[in-house]
Amino acid sequence: MSWHVHLPALMIAVPLLGAFVAPVASMLGKAARNFWLVGVSALTAILSVLLWQQVLASGTAIYVMGGEAFNLSLPSGMSLPIRIILEVDAFSAFMALVGSIAALAGAIFSTNYMEKFSGLDKFTALYFLLTTGMLGMVLTGDLFNFFVFLEIASVASFGLVAFWRDRPEAIEASFKYMVVSTIGAMMVLIAIAFLYGRYNAVNMAAVANVLRLGYAEKVALVFLIVALAMKCGTVPMHMWTPDAYTEAPAGVTCLLIAVSQASLYGLFRVCFSIYGASLGSAVVPWTIIVMGVLSMFIGVSMAVVQKEIKRLMAYHSVSQIGYMLLGLGVGLLALSDPQAMADYGFTAMKGGIYHLINYTVCKGLLFLTAGALYYAAGSRNLNDLGGLARNMPYTTFMFVIAAAAIAGLPPFNGFVSKLLIYESTFAVYPILSIMALVTSVLTLASFVKVFQTAFLGPAKARLSHVKEVPAGMLLGMSVLTIVIIGLTLFPTWSLSNLVEPAAKALVDQAGYISAVVGGGL
Amino acid sequence: MWSNVFTGFGYWDVYSWIIFFFIASGLVLWIRSMGRSDYKKGTEQDEIFYGSNAVPEDGSEIQVPASSAYWGFVEALKGYYELLTGMHSGLTNDYVGYMVVVAAVLAVLVLL
Repeated sequence: MSWHVHLPALMIAVPLLGAFVAPVASMLGKAARNFWLVGVSALTAILSVLLWQQVLASGTAIYVMGGEAFNLSLPSGMSLPIRIILEVDAFSAFMALVGSIAALAGAIFSTNYMEKFSGLDKFTALYFLLTTGMLGMVLTGDLFNFFVFLEIASVASFGLVAFWRDRPEAIEASFKYMVVSTIGAMMVLIAIAFLYGRYNAVNMAAVANVLRLGYAEKVALVFLIVALAMKCGTVPMHMWTPDAYTEAPAGVTCLLIAVSQASLYGLFRVCFSIYGASLGSAVVPWTIIVMGVLSMFIGVSMAVVQKEIKRLMAYHSVSQIGYMLLGLGVGLLALSDPQAMADYGFTAMKGGIYHLINYTVCKGLLFLTAGALYYAAGSRNLNDLGGLARNMPYTTFMFVIAAAAIAGLPPFNGFVSKLLIYESTFAVYPILSIMALVTSVLTLASFVKVFQTAFLGPAKARLSHVKEVPAGMLLGMSVLTIVIIGLTLFPTWSLSNLVEPAAKALVDQAGYISAVVGGGL
Repeated sequence: MWSNVFTGFGYWDVYSWIIFFFIASGLVLWIRSMGRSDYKKGTEQDEIFYGSNAVPEDGSEIQVPASSAYWGFVEALKGYYELLTGMHSGLTNDYVGYMVVVAAVLAVLVLL
């Protein structure tokens, strides 16, 4: 048996091992700890590339934890899908790849960014636990297992948001996130209990195979949508994001972006792969579209008036989540109508999924540049910054690349994903495209504000000592910059190899089910 | 890898834009080269014209602060922004309250 078979499990096992060994590695000194942080993150990223290649070449990968078959056959002949499985289709593999890249960039950046602080053994362990939770969420094919990984990611992020525990704001942000996140987790658990009570199964494919929409299923759906939409920062449940993203160390914020995408993944896995055509009415798709439009507009409106750079970017994150909800919501709307799916639904889904990778790398890079400014100038308040392009030319260059890309300026990758969303949503209702376009203009305005106030203008006497950040931080930012430039220069390749397989996997509910329960339960 | 991205309604050719970018950059550099050749860096030619007033020593005195950026936009939408900032109270009770309200509204829409 080839070791490639174990790739899904290794994707989770490697960062989990990283977390438990981190305190031991830290005892060997700073260099050993940093090597462990970057080495394990790099290995996870390499594994994610291999897994993605394997899934594209061989189709959906199924991995049963602790057994040969996912089901247990009783002497009576009855078969129960009780074992935990990892089900990795092209959408899961795509998400794992995106998340691993963000985790690697954040890890490299953190080696220098965090060097002034103590407690880095705990930081490293929590960082890997957060990575494990994120990867587990996107790779699992089991609802309860999804809940467990969601909780692992949540608990690790509470610790990381409050890492600078001498700052009352950090403790407050972590506490608020913990309260709303715990309530969200309870909703997820209750929803899973509803489905388990009805079908005696928590395997996603097994549940999807037998699901018939009744009251219990509807209640479960509501709880899952609300909890996962909150976790990815959807208006009006987004209010934890500005607090948490602002107070977390910059490398962690980069990873938190990927974790929020894992929740978005969960939302769409539930809607497309578990409920799918059973959704019936257009209520759920339209709810997601409306939440998307509200997120886009309210998020960017709040971003424009912020003067704290990470807070501005956090509100901007809320706005970008709206684009993905809009694109994938339109895809969900067209799911039961093959003609609509062919006309505009699939294009909208491609736009939404392409924007997902664009958002993760661009926003991750923007948060890292904000961290670089804080590291070099000692302030995140834009009123205190100015003229730093002279002192920090590389950071400035990478900020401009990321800001232009996420604002959707041609020829950057953000423009391609937004173009797909604009044109496809126009076919549903032109007002949706208009809202998306206005949001894009305001996005550009908010980043022009950051660029003008932090990087341009006359040099300030207080900032005369500022110099470019250390090589480790530049390298972390460079990883994401290279990905952005690659996506910009090769949009057709990106769409054909990354986005389209993921979109096809998401709409193919029958394929998702048959990969596991092809022979019946 | 090198073909156009088709959106179903049109297409996108990134290389046309990159060529345009290089042409525009070339034009910018050409216009710049048409400038005065007797310019000397570090001389009085570098001095900023500040309405015949003395230029302040510290740049922070002449920079528009971030909190004043887009003042007109925010002023014109004052009512909208008052509503939005009122919603963002920072109170955990409100955070949870919005979740409960969304769950209730969605439950009504889905169950009925």
